[in-house]
Amino acid sequence: MPATRIHHLYEMLHYWSDTFARLPLTNLKEVGQTAVTLISSILNYQVSALLIKDGDKEPSLLASKGIDRQLLSMWNLEESLLQHLWSECEAPAIVECTTLPAELASSAERLGLKGVFLHVPLRATVEHKENLIGFAVAAQPRGDWDLESDLKALGIISGFVAGAITGCTMRALLIESTVSKKYVDSIIKSMSDTMIVVDSDRRIRTVNQATLTLLGYLPQELIGQPAAIILAHELPFTASRDDDSVEPDFRGNIETVYRSKEGREIPVLLSSSVLRDDRGKVSGLIYMAQDITERKRAEAELHKTKEAAEAANRAKSTFLANMSHELRTPLNAVIGYSEMLQEEAEDLGQAELIPDLKKINAAGKHLLDLINNVLDLSKIEAGKMELFLETFEISALVQDVVAVIQPLVAKRTNTLQVNCDDDLGTMRADLTKVRQSLFNLLSNASKFTEQGTISLSVSRGPASDGDWISFRVSDTGIGMTAEQTAKLFQPFAQAEASTTPKYGGTGLGLVISRRFCQMMGGDIAVQSEPGQGSAFTIKLPARILDPKSQPAAPAESTSAPLPEGAPTVLVIDDDPAARDLLQRFLGKEGFRVESAGDGEEGLRLASKLHPDAIVLDVIMPRMDGWAVVTALKAEAELADIPVVMLTIVDDKNTGFALGAADYLTKPVDRERLAAILKKHQRAIRPGCVLVVEDDAATREMLQRLLEKEGWQVGAAENGRVALELVAEKRPQLILLDLMMPEMDGFEFVEELHKHKEWRSIPVVVVTAKDITIEDRLRINGYVAKILEKAACSREALLREVRDLVAACVREGSRSNHEPQLPA
Amino acid sequence: MNLSKWGEFVPKILLVEDNEMNRDMLSRRLQRKGFQVIIAVDGAQGVAMAQADAPDLILMDMSLPVLDGWEATRQLKASAPTRSIPIIALTAHAMSGDQERALQAGCDHYDTKPIELPRLLEKINALLNKDTAR
Repeated sequence: MPATRIHHLYEMLHYWSDTFARLPLTNLKEVGQTAVTLISSILNYQVSALLIKDGDKEPSLLASKGIDRQLLSMWNLEESLLQHLWSECEAPAIVECTTLPAELASSAERLGLKGVFLHVPLRATVEHKENLIGFAVAAQPRGDWDLESDLKALGIISGFVAGAITGCTMRALLIESTVSKKYVDSIIKSMSDTMIVVDSDRRIRTVNQATLTLLGYLPQELIGQPAAIILAHELPFTASRDDDSVEPDFRGNIETVYRSKEGREIPVLLSSSVLRDDRGKVSGLIYMAQDITERKRAEAELHKTKEAAEAANRAKSTFLANMSHELRTPLNAVIGYSEMLQEEAEDLGQAELIPDLKKINAAGKHLLDLINNVLDLSKIEAGKMELFLETFEISALVQDVVAVIQPLVAKRTNTLQVNCDDDLGTMRADLTKVRQSLFNLLSNASKFTEQGTISLSVSRGPASDGDWISFRVSDTGIGMTAEQTAKLFQPFAQAEASTTPKYGGTGLGLVISRRFCQMMGGDIAVQSEPGQGSAFTIKLPARILDPKSQPAAPAESTSAPLPEGAPTVLVIDDDPAARDLLQRFLGKEGFRVESAGDGEEGLRLASKLHPDAIVLDVIMPRMDGWAVVTALKAEAELADIPVVMLTIVDDKNTGFALGAADYLTKPVDRERLAAILKKHQRAIRPGCVLVVEDDAATREMLQRLLEKEGWQVGAAENGRVALELVAEKRPQLILLDLMMPEMDGFEFVEELHKHKEWRSIPVVVVTAKDITIEDRLRINGYVAKILEKAACSREALLREVRDLVAACVREGSRSNHEPQLPA
Repeated sequence: MNLSKWGEFVPKILLVEDNEMNRDMLSRRLQRKGFQVIIAVDGAQGVAMAQADAPDLILMDMSLPVLDGWEATRQLKASAPTRSIPIIALTAHAMSGDQERALQAGCDHYDTKPIELPRLLEKINALLNKDTAR
């Protein structure tokens, strides 16, 4: 469905936007590798590749994903294909392999470019001429995807990639000290990105031609003017107290706005580097900025399309709800009059009419079932289905359901076995919905089994695991393949289209039952093998709290009084049932729980409460979890709060790349959640801190600073020494360099993590290394924060460390622990 | 009390229903089952007829024009002469909330549409027997 595809692409572009902005400008290969990884992840295509062409040289493969290594070596053999693509595909295109000349088609197939592939040129402006610098390709075997949307998304990605590639090339040339000034000048002139050099007073010293073209100024109108003349918004800068210099207060790229001479606002992606004189003093800054008007426009368009798709979906649900009602009225007449006529025919002794009247009646009832199902589903999707909670005897429910299902079971000569625990007791749930779900599973089992056994087992889970009731329905019927089970819970996709005529039904029953169970905080799981039968298990909490009577409750309403210093967890989830479950469970585990029903309220509460951890749902209306975590990490005050993401989408890497501390899929394994929260619980008091740094000057500086703040400081020159010190005395905080002799920072955190009792020590990485995505993934979950020396001045670094330490101190006193003064 | 020509007790049922087809169908089926059926097409008429004709039981559709079923029920249950007439609410499918509201308004029982006659008859007879036993 196109609407779903656009939605998916938009979400993915959104998730990865931070990574786009941080494409490394140091290493061309890495840009390529990151780009193809992004393309494959976002489009979910099997093959992606980036080709670049340097001047008059032959085009070459920069990076690829999904192409067999052996085939890769053959790539050069496929020059004719490359040349063809190069000359024929000047514009973004969807290329069907079947339309290529025969020999090229076989070349393409050898490289894995099967079915259909998308092709987008990469362009950069050099010396006022727009040049083709390469192209991006993504391929998939034939599918029913919305290729036009995919092509748009690939176009957006390619814009970033082209910018990063040009940036890389320029940077490489700029830092070559042997390059003559004239040569550098000519390059700067020809760059497609704008470049501005400002002095330490932030007055403009140099601009390149691209800047003048974009902003409509003459050079003499800008040189000597304050940078603010072209910056629509103040950049986050910090003035150093020691000298007159300024420091950018951001890392990587930021989005900001330039103002042209006529006052037009131009969105740009800006990166900044610091210029230093021979003594290392800051002498100026370079701003490189790329005009992203086009990208913004494309994003907005994609966003609009997504909104429209959502609106259409809502309209559809409302329409269905109304329509179903309209359909039911005449159907009542069909059912009622056919029943009446049967009675009448009996009275009048016209028995020969009865079978036909029964058929009309049965068809009417069947149609009514279908309509009721569609209505239920549209109500659920429109968010209008409500829960009516009551407390009832579980064994009475089982007896009731068994009595109703018995004739259906017997119809195909099946037998029904019921195994119930003796002391099932009562549960609080929506009786009608539990009954309907159970009835649905049993009637499915009866439909797909012949001369077999259908079993219903009901049990109450151990109280330690929370109070859960499971209903397991298994059969010895035809079973399903893995492919069929995967489609089982999708609306309008009955396992096989061909089953419909044989077995009847809408195929919506299971979808509805599952949504019902999820509304009640549970779920339905399935196990099946073809020919071996199937087993469905409904798992429901024994006590479902009414979301209406217990709204997103403040912590005071939790039953057990919590100790004064209980750590606070903020739960952000739009589903009231999920919030309540987490609240009750985490309350029992000794956490003070606050909750928010949407992303904005979550952010507001996070700044107000500064919780010890945040549990965050991903899929929420308006502001989703990814946006919330990005916003949290962008806020210095909140960035250090560990965020645990909860979602039904299993995509750990996105979560980690955005800075999530941990990641759990729904339904939540509650013990694991508790363990994770305890791991991240910050209970640091000013005590002792360990500085691990091989550079003596930096080490001593940090040591002096921290001692001034009242900390006891241990110092180690490499990871091995640090481990010895940790073993001697457990520090409350570790400041860690990554590049060190003997044992580097990566090894150190890995070693540290092997010891259970050390895992909770927060580690702050302070490094001069450019942190790549791989680095980040390698140490994520292990470290609390990463400070890059390169992007930070000494002063800014000290301030960061000071803030962090202060946060720890605040934390200590807030949790009402006795402040433990250093010895 | 209504008696047939043979002197049998013929319960009089007031059916309050705005949909013509439902009204026709249900009244004919009930008549065949030996009930006397009188008909009102909206809530206000239902209240008036309940007061004037003293039916033995009322079948009340809930979504009615002029005066809806809930309000009509409340008025009937609030007035002494009609308070003891049993009322069965007829509500639409899946509107569990409607059923709760119907009982709160004072209905003695409810049944869902589309009508399953045997089930409805059971409820009617249970209420009539309780009534005559008293």
